[in-house]
Amino acid sequence: MPSPAPLRPGERLFALLLVLFAGFAFHQSHAISGFEGLTTGGVMPMLASGVMVVTALVILSDTLRRPQAETRGLRGLVAYLFPLRVVLFAALVAAYGAAIPLLGFLVASGGLLFVAIWMLWTRGPLVALVLALASVGAIHVLFRMVFKVVLPGGSLWS
Amino acid sequence: MIETLGYFATSWVDPYLLGLTALGTLAGIYVGAIPGLSVTMAASILISFTFKWEVNAALALIAGVYVGGVYGGARTAILLNIPGAPSAIATALDGYPLAQKGQAGEAIALSTVMSVMGGLLGVLALALAAPLIAQFAIKFTSREYMLLGIIGILLVGTLSGESFAKGAFAGALGVMIGMVGLDPMTAETRFTYGSINLMGGVPFVVAMIGFFGVAEALVQLEHVAATPVKQAVSRIVPAWADVRRYLALALKSSGLGTLIGALPGTGGDIAALLAYDQAKRSTRDPEVPFGEGAKEGLIAPEAANNAAVGGAFVPMLTLGIPGDAVTAIIIGALYIHGLKPGPLLLSDTPHLFWFIVGNLTLANLFLLVFGLTGIRVFTKVVECPRAILIPLIVVLSAVGAYAIQNNPVHITWALGFGVAGYLLKRYGFQVGPIILGVILGPMIDSNYRRAMIAAQQDVGRFLYDLVSHPISAVLSAALLAMLISQLPVIRNRRRR
Repeated sequence: MPSPAPLRPGERLFALLLVLFAGFAFHQSHAISGFEGLTTGGVMPMLASGVMVVTALVILSDTLRRPQAETRGLRGLVAYLFPLRVVLFAALVAAYGAAIPLLGFLVASGGLLFVAIWMLWTRGPLVALVLALASVGAIHVLFRMVFKVVLPGGSLWS
Repeated sequence: MIETLGYFATSWVDPYLLGLTALGTLAGIYVGAIPGLSVTMAASILISFTFKWEVNAALALIAGVYVGGVYGGARTAILLNIPGAPSAIATALDGYPLAQKGQAGEAIALSTVMSVMGGLLGVLALALAAPLIAQFAIKFTSREYMLLGIIGILLVGTLSGESFAKGAFAGALGVMIGMVGLDPMTAETRFTYGSINLMGGVPFVVAMIGFFGVAEALVQLEHVAATPVKQAVSRIVPAWADVRRYLALALKSSGLGTLIGALPGTGGDIAALLAYDQAKRSTRDPEVPFGEGAKEGLIAPEAANNAAVGGAFVPMLTLGIPGDAVTAIIIGALYIHGLKPGPLLLSDTPHLFWFIVGNLTLANLFLLVFGLTGIRVFTKVVECPRAILIPLIVVLSAVGAYAIQNNPVHITWALGFGVAGYLLKRYGFQVGPIILGVILGPMIDSNYRRAMIAAQQDVGRFLYDLVSHPISAVLSAALLAMLISQLPVIRNRRRR
């Protein structure tokens, strides 16, 4: 019989968090209408979250049976799940989400594209700027003019 | 009959629809071919822009992207040994060795012709089988719909992930997301926490864009430094002797692909792998061994994965159950346009059914044209670095999430779903069942409650109904068999 695949870094912790999340989801589902009846609004959420609890426990028990990851500890977890590139990019995306209401969609998107392309593609800021401007121009033509989507404006401009 | 032909030919005679189908197919080939872009992602983003369009126009574009995308993955599989889409994984096994021998043009030509043949056979099966299945499915009650919904989610969970528990967890999570908002039967709030935005529920397109688009962009960051591989292609000429020679294999693989595609939860990737396996077993003396450039190993998966497209539409249009992730999105598109895929779709809106059949046929013909031309431009486009693609995916996802209701909050939600999707994907969860859960959850909820009310809120009677009515009994047995087949004892025995 083949030996089970080793755990990914942090997989057991993730499975434990899923159990906790599923338990919380069940608690919240129960809060909708409790066990008042079989056709109330809370029944399906309770069934779904119940399935989540059971399957999360199965997933957790599976992680307890499998051999440990080769790279253990916080360092292994960070390297696997949160490499610097992902963290920086996720932070950039979060900043982008926050900037849209202030700067408007096109300016914020231009900013994201410029910084991200510059960061990910080592061809210098000028190339990144040209690509960002061209992309934003294309998005404006395609979505605003062709698809007639009213893109969000920024509060700083209006 | 003439009326049916008229519906069938709608997109053939209307220049606007004809153009959209051509555009969709061409775009689909590139989307499918560029690693990092997926047809599912493209279709989900497209819905957010086309939901205000007339339904035929939206479907023409999306169906074109679907047909082109399934085929497009083969090109990079052959040229670069990088399957552009999961359905092209099997294609790379023999397609790339052929390219290494300097036969890339021939391999692309052969894969194009066989893909079109498979695609057309799949559409033929859709045209013939769907009306028959719909006539039967019209007898379905809320009990059967509830069971079908559960089966649909679980099948995707069973077949697409690394474990059944993960698939079921993902499906249940999707159902939970689908429950957010006002209860449609009692107007009771569920998981809204006083937020006005949450009262309207989570639009499935927003979830889809987050889980497929943003999450995929984050996952792709790992491969951002990968250098694009280059391949020179001189000319693409199909060797007609090969087409004739492998016709029987292509027909057999197309039949298999259609059948696999029609099973809810499967798709072109599974169809292609099974067809490849079948070809390997049944070809006694291949000119070249499999894995080293056997043409049989190229033809079988290519015919099968495109045939699976037509097959996937059968359960979607007749039962309202998606055959794969893309048809799950197309179901969403139909809902947005006020249509309900299921047994009544064919009787209430036959024009739509025959339009889809005609449109898929047309898209396959465009595939033949675009598949055999423009290869030089193509090789340049697929070399586009991920460093440009990834930020673009995020921006397109943001505009897509916003456009569905012109609500900026949905951008934040999509980005949040993206981060959640990234974490889940890194630990081996598939996001397909989540999206199916979001779409089918409310349907399961309302049908469960109707069935329970019909059983006078008596659990015993409800369970008895599930096994005493013939259709319910078959579906319950299928559901039970599926659950039993996932028990560790059975799975271990099967592995041995």
